[in-house]
Amino acid sequence: MQNYTAPLRDMRFVLHELHGAEPLPGQEEFSVELLDTILEEAGKFCTEQLLPINASGDLEGCTYENGVVHTPKGFKEAYKGFSEAGWGALNAAQKYGGQGAPETIAKLVEEMICSTNLSFGLYPGLTHGASLALESHGSEELKDFYLPKMVSGEWSGTMCLTEPHCGTDLGLLRTKAAPQNDGSYKISGAKIFISAGEHDLTENIIHLVLARLPDAPAGVKGISLFLVPKFLPNAEGRPGARNGVSCAAIEHKMGIKASATCQMNFDDATGWLVGTPHKGMQAMFVMMNSERLSVGTQGLGIGEIAYQSAVSYARERLQGRSLSGVKHPDKPADPLIVHPDIRRMLLTMRANNEGCRALCVWVAQAMDRAALAADPVERAEYEEFVALLTPVVKALFTDLGFESASTAMQVYGGHGYIRDHGIEQLARDARIAMIYEGTNGIQALDLVGRKLPANLGRSLRRFFHPVSEFIEAHSGHPALGKLVQGYARAFGALQLATAYIAEKGMSDPEEAGAAATDYLRLFGLVALGFMWVRMAVIAVDKMGGEDAEFYQAKIVTARFFMQRILPQAGALLFTIKAGKAPLMDMAEAAF
Amino acid sequence: MGDIRKAAVIGAGTMGAAIAAQFANAGTPVLLLDIVPAGAKSRNALAEGAIAKMLKTDPAPFMSKSAAKLVAPGNIEDDLGKLAECDWIVEAIVERLDIKQDLYRKIETVRKPGCAVSSNTSTIPLAKLVEGMGEGFARDFLITHFFNPPRYMRLLELVTGPATDAALADSVEKFADVRLGKSIVRTKDSPGFIANRLGVYWLMLGVIEALDAGLTIEGADAVMSKPMGIPKTGVFGLIDLVGLDLMPHINASLGATLPKGDAFHAANRDLPLIKKMIAEGYIGRKGKGGFYRKTAAGREAIDLASGDYRPVQKSNLREAEAKLGKLLSFDTKAAKYAWRVLGQTLSYAASLVGDAADNIDAIDTAMRLGYNWRYGPFELIDLIGVDVLVEKLAKDGFAVPAFLNAARGKKFYQLTGGKREYFGADGVYHPLQRPAGVLLLEDIKRTGKPVLKNASASVWDVGDGVLCFEYTSKSNSLDAQNLELLSQTIDFLPKAHKALVIYNEGQNFSAGANLGLGLFAANIAAWSEIEKLVTAGHDVYKKLKYAPFPSVAAPFGMALGGGCEILLHTSAVQAHAEAYVGLVECGVGLVPAWGGCSEMLARWAANPRMPHGPMPAAAKVFEIVSTATVSKSAAEAKEFMFLKADDGISMNRDRLLADAKARALALVEGYAAPVPATYRLPGASGAVAMGIAADEFRRKGVATTYDMVVAGELAGVLSGGAADIIDEVTEKEILALERAAFMRLIKNQGTLARIETMLTTGKPLRN
Repeated sequence: MQNYTAPLRDMRFVLHELHGAEPLPGQEEFSVELLDTILEEAGKFCTEQLLPINASGDLEGCTYENGVVHTPKGFKEAYKGFSEAGWGALNAAQKYGGQGAPETIAKLVEEMICSTNLSFGLYPGLTHGASLALESHGSEELKDFYLPKMVSGEWSGTMCLTEPHCGTDLGLLRTKAAPQNDGSYKISGAKIFISAGEHDLTENIIHLVLARLPDAPAGVKGISLFLVPKFLPNAEGRPGARNGVSCAAIEHKMGIKASATCQMNFDDATGWLVGTPHKGMQAMFVMMNSERLSVGTQGLGIGEIAYQSAVSYARERLQGRSLSGVKHPDKPADPLIVHPDIRRMLLTMRANNEGCRALCVWVAQAMDRAALAADPVERAEYEEFVALLTPVVKALFTDLGFESASTAMQVYGGHGYIRDHGIEQLARDARIAMIYEGTNGIQALDLVGRKLPANLGRSLRRFFHPVSEFIEAHSGHPALGKLVQGYARAFGALQLATAYIAEKGMSDPEEAGAAATDYLRLFGLVALGFMWVRMAVIAVDKMGGEDAEFYQAKIVTARFFMQRILPQAGALLFTIKAGKAPLMDMAEAAF
Repeated sequence: MGDIRKAAVIGAGTMGAAIAAQFANAGTPVLLLDIVPAGAKSRNALAEGAIAKMLKTDPAPFMSKSAAKLVAPGNIEDDLGKLAECDWIVEAIVERLDIKQDLYRKIETVRKPGCAVSSNTSTIPLAKLVEGMGEGFARDFLITHFFNPPRYMRLLELVTGPATDAALADSVEKFADVRLGKSIVRTKDSPGFIANRLGVYWLMLGVIEALDAGLTIEGADAVMSKPMGIPKTGVFGLIDLVGLDLMPHINASLGATLPKGDAFHAANRDLPLIKKMIAEGYIGRKGKGGFYRKTAAGREAIDLASGDYRPVQKSNLREAEAKLGKLLSFDTKAAKYAWRVLGQTLSYAASLVGDAADNIDAIDTAMRLGYNWRYGPFELIDLIGVDVLVEKLAKDGFAVPAFLNAARGKKFYQLTGGKREYFGADGVYHPLQRPAGVLLLEDIKRTGKPVLKNASASVWDVGDGVLCFEYTSKSNSLDAQNLELLSQTIDFLPKAHKALVIYNEGQNFSAGANLGLGLFAANIAAWSEIEKLVTAGHDVYKKLKYAPFPSVAAPFGMALGGGCEILLHTSAVQAHAEAYVGLVECGVGLVPAWGGCSEMLARWAANPRMPHGPMPAAAKVFEIVSTATVSKSAAEAKEFMFLKADDGISMNRDRLLADAKARALALVEGYAAPVPATYRLPGASGAVAMGIAADEFRRKGVATTYDMVVAGELAGVLSGGAADIIDEVTEKEILALERAAFMRLIKNQGTLARIETMLTTGKPLRN
């Protein structure tokens, strides 16, 4: 069974004890009590409304008939409840009817949604992303007209980028936009892989479409963004005439089957320009950056439910005896959880999940500060931090999410591979997150090619300096000094790898490309390690008080991470320093 | 004729005055004479005014204020008799034959026999100048054509006539080479000599081809510069620099004197736009603008078609980033333009062999040194390939001179046994001869292998037991590797050698530590690596200072930061006159930390002219270093004590290595390493006093908030930290203070912002 209880205690720890801070201007109303209530309510909604339709939604999938897409049974009702409870509006701007909650709490709620029903989460997730792009680049008129409906969840949103011949390389994009006398545009072209492109959850769907104007320069510098509604709204803002947008088919996929992945045709569809001509990629990147962090959260969400399911199975499943002698003589066999290797798997999942959750909230907090901090210099610094960590969060979390799903399946054995327990669904659902919103390979290139060299490495300072200061302050910690010193070695490996790539990559971009994926993993592990040493320091201080078990487990998990996971940093450094030769020496024809 | 001990320049215009200044820079007393202006208070008003103006000019014609005292102003009426004391008289008056000859006649009445007389004419042939002047005059007369500004442009074209005394010409050449620091190119007595004949032809082609092709001037300049190693001013930017108003004069003169069939006439087109611009006062940078102009709204460029100004457009031409060969293969408007201008210019250059110049080396040297081209025309032809060029020229119907045809299947320069040879007008290769006493690392490197070498430095045997340490890192920046090799060299040298010279032939001696690496290391918090590098610099520089053999550093161009500190640690310095030396660390939010503070303190404390007590020397060093002072010449570097009073100065860049080597060898006999200095420093109260001085600057708005942080750290080092006035402070202790201050500053965001801005914009951040 997919087994899930919202990890509220850990979420509260991360939110208040690890990253606790004074509320930012404009977020004062979000007191600790209110945040805890939101977490509790979200947990309740997710476990009660979304989890029950997760496996059934996967089994039934979306169906397509004559241009109409039906979501699986229960989705409509769940979506209605979701919107009415205001979950879609949680971190939307108050000006447009949102609640303006901090990104930190929003990301934790997202994690719960992704744990309990990844397919479902995509519908409101895309609406949120589209709203952000519109809010940051759209005209006041467009925003006033569309955003309230999108924030309330009455209308949903999409992002239409991919075309049959271009995915990663959007410069090849062909969809056209012809200017009309009334200031609107006629959009024509075909788009594929459009999540939530067509469905029956909302009365209208607002597509954000990348297309080229007639005078557009070639390549990515000639792409503009357009808003194209499924139904053209009438003066009262109700859906009116059907626009020239249609869904030609939905894809048959490995996972997230309850999410409609559509082929969309735009046939002289009426649209409006969002932002400046030829600057569509900028607007789209606002959405993509936020989406990338959300996709990272999907990996974390899957990782959490995979872990919880595996733990419950490892406790229940009686098989064999402990290597150190019988532990449950009253039972025919000991539970799986007595075995070191089962523990290895469970702790790996747990250490990664808790580390990712801590990192996720750290980045989310920086997003809030980048938007709301009083000092513009500080805002810019947090923006650099978010930009640096975005590819790490996206790729690392989704890699680990899929690894966790696979590990959980290993704990289940054959029972994980068959459908009954719902574990194989997790593996299938998790797999896409490593691909969409920029494949994890692209994330790694973004990290080494853009983020690392930007401003002679200035963005790196936002991560490396706090880590260095922490190490300096805590390597003499009476209880955790050794742990911190061990962590310092992994950090040293990251410093060396960074310097190596900066030096080699400068003269030979292929060197940077060859190192990219391993470097991102190394960066990610060191970032998780930073969260773990910080969490351990807090936990040690609180061992004497309430909840000692929770803190004890934190310290044990921290040690596990440092001793059983983080040593990979050394191996990754070696891998990176092997350079491009091992990859490029093979003649193309020899493959 | 013997040595030139006293000179005179007649004509106190821009060129004449600045030529006089260069004599003064060489330490030679010089008379500067001009006419007596009507109604002026002082009869020497023109020369006096020129000297006063030069003292304010930037870039400065004088290398030091004291040099200005060697220029004696006068006028040709009252001071004509003084010419009798001179060994060389340079005429730099208006370009009119009759007026020049009138002057020559006056000179003839007073000059002593064997005194050289030369004209700085750029347009009048020597044959005309000596016509009817008598045999004695013709024997002692020659043309010495300086380039503007004479202090900085290394080219001197020298023209002799059939009657000119060879020995006299040789001694003028030697003086101009060794003392004035010029590279002499002997040219024939033909119109425009070499550099301007070819250069003006190139500029005119550059203008008319851009007009014909409908190119923007930005586009033309972008493509007609970087790919062929020509300064980024290109064509239009250069015309702005020299002045549009000069163009019609030079063109008219060349047009009138060059033979009918000369290719110049085809390029000498009447250009209404330029006429109109000159008429309206748009004569270039010295006027209200030229093809480009600066306005409050930013830089503007002229539209060649309409003649109106518009904002400068970034050209972003991929052609401008291409290598030369690649560029010529493109089939675009800009590439075709580049080809048409360059192809015809190179063809014209080939036609000048035997006409304006004896050989290709003279033409290449003239264009490199007179127009700052990185490659001379024949070096460019070798880059393209003679055959490729000939075929392309023929295909487009451009002239293919016989000399170019003769070189088909060959290269203009070849290496034989490590020696460079040029293709002569006679169709045979000849070895390139350096002037006597010139030693170039470039030549040594062609014939041998380095004694020691790593990725950032090499060590060469320059003969007579002397090793030469050469930086090979990007921009000669200092890093862990060249420090390491220097350390190895110090261990290696005594085994079989006697002395060390630190020298290279890059653009600059060294602008200091590799800031980019440093910033990156700081960004990733690699503090221990940074501290290791600081310590390594200390250790190696001290090892050099206390080595058992003499060392001589030979700076030229910029010697900044760590590149200055190394000069402070060698036994002696032989500097090129154009050495810009300074401890500029404070500008990027740091303090000198490779012994710059300790060495400067020792030098100023030992200066007999300083008042007694620990404070004056420390205060003086604080003043120099906190303001990131850079000397504007080697002479000025002595005033700041970056160089010692008895350090040597070479005027000619090409003679620097030979001079440095000679200085090093002179030190070998009886050499003893110096004894470490001990210091008495003012301590905490001194730091407070320096702080008050800095605060005064801040209140005046000269120093910024972060300057105060940096100045505070510097004051802490220079005052000796917690030292008490009565304590003796050791060199080691000051080094420890330097290192600690440096490490605190490098961790400061204010310093990192300064370094980043310096690296990305080339300008200091005033945070």
